[in-house]
Amino acid sequence: MTHQQHASQILEQVKAAGATGDLIIDQGRSLSLKAREGALEEYKVSSSQVLGLRVIKDGKVGTAYSEATDSEALKSLVEQALLNASFAAVDGHESILANAVKLHTEDALLCPAEDIAIDEQIDFALTLERSLATRSKVKNVPYNGVQDNTGERHIFSSAGLSAYSKSRMCAAYAYALVEEGEKNAMDGVGQAARLFRDLDLSQIVEQTHENCLGLLDGTPVASGHYDVIFDAETQVQLFQTFAMMFSGKSAKDGVNPMREKVGQLIADSRLNVFDKPQNSLGFGYALFDSEGTQTQSTPLIVDGHLSTLIHNSATASFFEIKTTGHATRGPKSTMGVALHQLEIGKGQTQVKELLKGEYLLLTDLTGLHSGANAISGNFSFGASGYLCEHGERVRAVRGITVAGNFYEMLRKIALIGDQQFWNWEKSALMPHIRFEDIAISG
Amino acid sequence: MLNTSVAQAVIDHALSLGADFAELFVERSQTNLVSTLSSHVQSVQSGIDFGVGVRLVYGNKVLYGYTNRAEQAELKGIVSKLAAKDRRDPRASLTNFDYRRVEDKHAATRILSVDPEVDNKVAFLLATDKAARAASNMISQTRGSCSQVEQRIELFNSEGLHTGDVRNYTRAFLVAIASDGSEQATGSWNDGGLMGWELIERMNSEAAGKEASRQALVNLSAKPCPSGRMPVVLGNGFGGVIFHEACGHLLETTSVAKKASVFHDKLGEMIANPVVNAVDDGTLHKERGSINIDDEGLDTQRTQLIKEGKLTSFLVDRIGAQQTGYARTGSGRRESYKYAPASRMRNTFIESGTSELDEMIGSMDRGIYAAHMGGGSVQPGTGEFNFAVTEGYYVEKGKILYPVKAATLISTGPKVLKEISMVGRDFALASGTCGSVSGSIPTTVGQATLKVDDILVGGNA
Repeated sequence: MTHQQHASQILEQVKAAGATGDLIIDQGRSLSLKAREGALEEYKVSSSQVLGLRVIKDGKVGTAYSEATDSEALKSLVEQALLNASFAAVDGHESILANAVKLHTEDALLCPAEDIAIDEQIDFALTLERSLATRSKVKNVPYNGVQDNTGERHIFSSAGLSAYSKSRMCAAYAYALVEEGEKNAMDGVGQAARLFRDLDLSQIVEQTHENCLGLLDGTPVASGHYDVIFDAETQVQLFQTFAMMFSGKSAKDGVNPMREKVGQLIADSRLNVFDKPQNSLGFGYALFDSEGTQTQSTPLIVDGHLSTLIHNSATASFFEIKTTGHATRGPKSTMGVALHQLEIGKGQTQVKELLKGEYLLLTDLTGLHSGANAISGNFSFGASGYLCEHGERVRAVRGITVAGNFYEMLRKIALIGDQQFWNWEKSALMPHIRFEDIAISG
Repeated sequence: MLNTSVAQAVIDHALSLGADFAELFVERSQTNLVSTLSSHVQSVQSGIDFGVGVRLVYGNKVLYGYTNRAEQAELKGIVSKLAAKDRRDPRASLTNFDYRRVEDKHAATRILSVDPEVDNKVAFLLATDKAARAASNMISQTRGSCSQVEQRIELFNSEGLHTGDVRNYTRAFLVAIASDGSEQATGSWNDGGLMGWELIERMNSEAAGKEASRQALVNLSAKPCPSGRMPVVLGNGFGGVIFHEACGHLLETTSVAKKASVFHDKLGEMIANPVVNAVDDGTLHKERGSINIDDEGLDTQRTQLIKEGKLTSFLVDRIGAQQTGYARTGSGRRESYKYAPASRMRNTFIESGTSELDEMIGSMDRGIYAAHMGGGSVQPGTGEFNFAVTEGYYVEKGKILYPVKAATLISTGPKVLKEISMVGRDFALASGTCGSVSGSIPTTVGQATLKVDDILVGGNA
């Protein structure tokens, strides 16, 4: 049975029960390779499929999913979703959108054809590990891997929506452990591309080795308040940790501190933040959201003012505005909102000015999942990086913490660079920002 | 769940391709999640996870694949694909499976497949919300959830093992948000175990609501945390997360075999202060990290990791045993059929000592009492870790002065183990979830209140 036939059968049952609904079918194929001491340590392949149904009956929403596709499981899927809906409170805002459209992403853009043999991918994994393992002071490369993942999503609704997207991501990463006497350090980098042959092995090896050696002599700096620049990875991590500040769902739920601040100055007036889902250079590219709403560029912070929160049709209805095309739902989850591809606008400051004087360049943050409170904005993370002066790394810094309040930090921006950088996963594009007066403990 | 003749045909196919070891892990799990937001039901979700994991071992190389389809052709296809580059001379085919029935030492009484008891879960969560709000009019919001999973597993391997188990996991959460108009702070409560909805019999909605509110109100009044190196007293129960992260992960053969752990060559050596005795025990009755058998089909056990400061054992799975020579400890675990098993912790704790809380606080000239800990992470290669304090107090001259916010503790595993100078008597366990190479698995951490003499506290005062 095709996906279209599965969907028709399920959605007919939903309609027969007097409900409306939508069905997400996610499929994936993946390859994962890991090497150890010159041999392949892990070779993992997968093929997966999961169906997620959302139903709305009498204003009540219920969801259910199944990884099994036998007829009994599919029958149970509809029954479970309807049963779950019966327990929910009436939601006057969530509905199945009347968008009877057909949407299809371009395979040539997101999933370009590539004829690549498994031998070539295995060779890449082995060479990556060996090339690093034989570098000076490298004890081993305990964490390394090569991945080739292709994902497909179908969305069908009782209103006639039929949306399909397919994308591929190839990635490679390596973390090396270097030792010198009693000192040690571990660091690594990753890389992502649509085509496997676009992965640059030597860049991963060189960068990982350089990062590890750079941190080997790291020691804490004296506690105090410093100017801080986060590198391309850590700055994206920081903004993603507090991305709830843009969530219309969290605002509806009463936990977003920015709920009443739309239109107000919340950041330095030079800060401009956007969500740009249709930049196809990034892996956050999205043609449509989980309700089948076509995406568009959304200005989030304009000249320091909060321009809008992000919405799906339900949160938009609650605030009596239009959806911004940020609905997100996995087969196993309820409807929420999420950014697609964050972008911070370029500033005016040239590199030389940005890196003037003394500052801390932070290249690693730890405890992001546990050391941050997105409701209050407070955070305290473990950190490492470099104490720099006029762009030169004076010495490596390890064993420190960086703490503060993210929402206050947005007002403590000293400078914004005039060049943008992707993080390695290509999920966000940002210039370097120099923050001032940040608490460091060492 | 999987026809025995299909399993035999697939494993025979793997042996015909020269695999040293072949294993099928079949899983069908039923899930249910009830969520409340303040005083109403936010959502009820349910589903079925189903799939088969195929593991082949050639020497020290692990080949792994999984699929949602349990047909013979599909599974044989995965085996062929995995073995394509390692094919060797055929091994003798499997003669027969020897079915081994597992005694359920943690039998659940209120299980999901019989009745999800959504009404009862909703009633409990709304009662916690009511209790939280009754504690103070500054409680502006609550979020609650009850999750229940009934995981059925079946294992077949090329040594003839055929066995299965059913695991019931239930967990409840409450988060309370306190607001004074300009600032917001959170507090939380949770409980869970290897059990069905009989968990309700030991939970008290009134106490749960009050505890989440109390923490939120304490945090709302908290001041910025002083920073620098100082002694820290870590509260009992979830305070044990530090040992779990800072030491436990470094004792798993997953990192030991790769020599990616600072402890890989320290067996038999003093790695901790002599007051430290640490255990990883998979047998505790109905605790969240307990199991009857591990995900490789071996009976679980109690493993003494550290005795009076000396490293006495690692946590060892099948591949770890093969790579290191240490005996398996019933610690091969995985989140689901999507992961190959790895050596993982179960219920991990530091055993009780003889000190009192007052004695520990009284011994600090300037320090932090971390009454409740949040999560953290560790880098196994260097042992560097970080942990968030979710309820902390500044202590000066032996007296608790005021609550502090946004504090993080950082150090290294080897160092902090030697800095533990006092261990209390108030032992407690706390449930959690641990994420690592083989996915997110249910665990328990635990300890009595203990004192670490020197640790870096990161605050923003």
